[in-house]
Formats: sequence, C-alpha cells, structure tokens
Amino acid sequence: MKSAFNRSIFAFAAILAVGTAGQAAAQDKPLKKYESGTKEFWTHPPDDWFLGDETEAQKGLAPPSGPPTGASEAELASLVKKIKLPPGFKIEVYAPGVLAARQMAWGDKGTLFVGSFGLGNVYAIKDNGGKKEVKTIIKGMNPPMPTGIAFKDGALYVINVNKLIRYDNAEDNLDKLGDGKVVYDDMPSYAAHGWKYLAADKDGWFYIPFGPPFNIGIPPTSVSQIRRVDPKTGNAELVGLGVRNSVGGDVDPRTGKYWFTENARDWMSDDTPSDKLNIISKVGEHFGYPYCHQGDMPDPKFAMGHTCSEFTPPVLNLGAHVAPLGMKFYTGNQFPAEYKNSILIAEHGSWNRHKYQGGRIVRVTADPDGKNAKETTFAEGWIEGAQGYLGRPDDIILDKDGSILVADDWAGAIYRISYSK
Amino acid sequence: MRNLLFTLSFVTTLATAMPVNAADVAAGKAKAELCAGCHGENGISQMENIPSLAGQPDQFIQWQLVFFRGGARKSEQMQPIVEQIDNEDIRNFGAYFASLTPPKATKPDDDPDLSQKGAQAAVGRRCASCHTDTFAGTKAVARLAGQREEYLLKALHDYKAGVRSGGGVAAMADVAYPLSEEEITALAHYLSHL
Repeated sequence: MKSAFNRSIFAFAAILAVGTAGQAAAQDKPLKKYESGTKEFWTHPPDDWFLGDETEAQKGLAPPSGPPTGASEAELASLVKKIKLPPGFKIEVYAPGVLAARQMAWGDKGTLFVGSFGLGNVYAIKDNGGKKEVKTIIKGMNPPMPTGIAFKDGALYVINVNKLIRYDNAEDNLDKLGDGKVVYDDMPSYAAHGWKYLAADKDGWFYIPFGPPFNIGIPPTSVSQIRRVDPKTGNAELVGLGVRNSVGGDVDPRTGKYWFTENARDWMSDDTPSDKLNIISKVGEHFGYPYCHQGDMPDPKFAMGHTCSEFTPPVLNLGAHVAPLGMKFYTGNQFPAEYKNSILIAEHGSWNRHKYQGGRIVRVTADPDGKNAKETTFAEGWIEGAQGYLGRPDDIILDKDGSILVADDWAGAIYRISYSK
Repeated sequence: MRNLLFTLSFVTTLATAMPVNAADVAAGKAKAELCAGCHGENGISQMENIPSLAGQPDQFIQWQLVFFRGGARKSEQMQPIVEQIDNEDIRNFGAYFASLTPPKATKPDDDPDLSQKGAQAAVGRRCASCHTDTFAGTKAVARLAGQREEYLLKALHDYKAGVRSGGGVAAMADVAYPLSEEEITALAHYLSHL
C-alpha cells in the first residue's frame, strides 16, 4: 500500500520534467496501453498510470510539474496584474506561501483552513493585524493527499484518500492539533484519483466523491461514485454512480440538491470528451462513466453495448481538459445581483491537450432543476502560451463580506476577488 | 513497476511554464553557512554519509528541502535546519547550489573493473533515462556524477529498504528494490568516480 501511495505522489506532485533527450526518445517508443481492470493495477498502479491508453495524437503529453516553492511574492504581484475580470472586480493576493493549496474551509472564529495536494500539509491562515499568517498545522500525512477539508461544530475535518479524520476544537489548538479521530474509513486505499473533496449539506452529512484508480476501465465497485456520509455515526449512502474523477461540488441553496464537477477521461483527443457539471436529482443516478462521456459519446472500448440514453446527462458540458475542480454557489451580497446563486467553478486547466485551456474561473447560471445552463468566463489569465502556467485555480470559498477566495496549488497562493461599484 | 523507467522519457518539459526565476544566488550563498558545517565549503562534502550539493539541479535542491520541511523525507540532522528557512531561502539555496562547480573524484579510480560493472548496471537499470547521460541530473532529478561513494551506497540502501521517501521515491524504490548488493556496490563506485 505504501508504495502505491508513493507512486501517486511521484506521478502528480513531483513529476520530474526531464530534458529534451527524453522527449526525443519518446518519439520512438510504442504507445502505452494498460490492462487497468485488475486489482493488482488498482493497488500497485505503475508510476505513469495516468498515461494509460495513449493515442498517437496525444502522445508525449503529461502532467507538468509546478515550482517546488510556489510563486514568490514578486511573481504573485506581477501575476495578479495579468488576470482579467469583469468590470468592477478586483483580484489581489490574500496569502502567499500556501504550497499546493487545495480545498478551503472557514473556522467559526475566522481561521481559514486549507488542504494540500502531494505535500501532506494542512494549513491554517490567521489574520494578524492585516498580515496573513500561514501556519502548517498538520505535516507529513501519509499518504500526502489531504485535499479535502471541512469545518463543522468547532471541528476540522480532513479527508485523506481512505480516512475521514475529525480534529475537535481545532481553532483553539492550532499548535497542538493532535492525531484526530478517524470517523469514517469504509473507503478503498487506491491512491490514483483517490484524493477527495468535502461538501456538507444542511443535515451535516458530507458529499464525498470517489474516483476510479485509472484513466478508463471497469471501475472497482467501491469507487466511481458519490457517497453521502454522516460524520457523526459513520453511516453512508450511495447517491451517485458512474462518476469519473470529481474533486468539487456544492449544495444548491435553492433546493438542497448536490451539484458536482467531473473530469472526463483522457487520451481521446484535444477536444473530446468534455468535462461536466452534474446535478444529483434522485438517489442512485448513473452519470455514464465508463460507458458514455459528455452525455452523448459512447466510449470506444467500454460502452459495451450501452447507449448514452441510459444515463443522466450533464447539466452542462464545460469543455475538454478544462479540469473543473472546486465550485461554489454564490450566496453573498457583494457581487452584482445577477451573481446570486450563480455557480463559480475553479478550472485547474489541461495537461492532456496540446494547447492548454481552463486555468480560469467560470460562472454558470442555471435553473434549480439544471435547465437553461449557461457559462461565461469570470476570471482568466493563468495560462501563458500553449503550455505555460502562472497558476492553477482549484477551489473557491466565499468570505463573510461577499468577496471570494481562490486557492491555487501551482503558485501556492490564495487570492481574493472582490467587487465594488 | 515494469514501465517506470519509461515514465520520465514521456514527461514533457515545460520550460515556458516556470515563472521567471527570481532567486538570489548571493543571498543563497550567505545563508548557506547553515549548510557548510556538514555539506562542506562550496557544497562539497568532506563528511562521511553527507552528500555534496554543488552542481545539484536547482529544482532537486528545492524539492528535497520542501520534502524535509513537510516531513515526507525524514532526517534528524535536516529537521532543525529546515525549521529555520522560508520559501525564499529555499529558492535561493536552489539557485546557489546549482551555480557551484560540481564535485570531481579526488582519487583516481582504484578499481576500474568494478566501475565497468557499475557502468553496465547503470545501462541495465536505465539510470540515464532520468539522471541524464552524464549523470549530471536535471530538474527534480539528482546529480549522481562525483557524489561521495559511501553516500551513494547509503542512498541506494535507503531506497531499497523503503526508508527514504520524498520526490522520485517511487521510481527509485522500484529501481533499487531488485538491485543486488554487487550492483549497488558497483554503481556507487562507478558514479562516484565520474
């Protein structure tokens, strides 16, 4: 198990970008192909598991590696000047030095908690007379994937692949958080796509996504699903099926229904299939993976006789390789009135595409039942050139004053976006 | 496991992706007094089981410091050091050590046959596909050429035993696991005399 986690770290957190010799050599290699439908593959994925089912067209593409220490304050200052926003909006750096920052959650007393990807850190950010103090309150988690966090009834919750851990009275114990208490662990330890996200509903249950441990294949029955979990009792229900890699979702303030983003399979082409925004309207809905993508595209190998009409279509196709991650309904009062109940989605951006796209924040408006969904770009400018990242947005949270905070795991920073007339 | 050595050759280099390097070599040098006690003047270690850092790739230095600080790579000696440094220091250390002249073997090769075995093992295990043909390392991958022999032994043993983690651990754990003692000895001898 340990080595499987290590592989995953290697694959995503510290991909070793090698020199041009490596690239030249890649041209002569045969296409990669995996038999990923075995337990051996799930528990011991090869280092390059995400390169599975390579195609001639996409050959040679791989996840890029960010700067080990994120962006410096000088780099961030120049970065935010390049971000384009609608009139009246402003972006600034809220906190630098939040390496590999992922999901954010507010404590009741104003502490911003932030998870991380690949580093095993959880951070607490306190306002110290206008200056943001970033404290690493959990270090060296194994596996190092505490990507999903939440805060409820004074407790910090951290989900790390196969453990949901509760740290009681967290804000008063930032310097001595302790080991916490595992409150739910009926989850497989598969590292690949095993990183998760937490979204609480009004009953205090968490929606939790489970990704398949590969690109495409018949998934283990314990994953490719959304569960709803009660952290008090450890009770859980299976609410969505046929889901690939989801790392973001939010409960609709209008209806209480769960909406979530989903990353579609790789290695088909630059422009297909599209990543999705979905809504769970009834318990146990099937969203198509691995049989059908983007609502209308049967998988060339894994459709296996199924047609797309058997599955719940997306609310909206967001585009291929945009990598939608964290999302929030806008419920604040600071932004213009038409933003109320819009969905803001942080797009992490491409790797399996020749010209990167995503790497921005989009705004989606839709009726409570998902009809009439429309997408507009809200914030962009994190991509330079065909394959250059300045940063990669991955989560959004509202601040008390109605501004939003955006986490970026490439630049290792939190931004604040605010509006004034 | 089977394919791990191919992995790296597939990884695309994204030179344009990195922000302009704002690191400060001079500041790194000043702060590197912290390091010199063990890692030696000018990053060339005179101390047993302590690696030379001179000429290590910038990103390799940075990642290892980040891993030490976060606890993914554990070391009793490094722990108190990394608690004293911030991200700016880490960037400056990366730039500084990368700027130094790499170590050269101080003694002539006293066992060319062993070196030849090491060279063969390096080909068989495809070390160069990550560490480059000259074993100078690149990006997040360590320089091996000219490294202290007993440190290379230690590192390979640590990887083989699963003791060392952080960074390219998956690749190295898988590479080191099947290595025989003879191969490890030969590799360390060969690489240290490059």
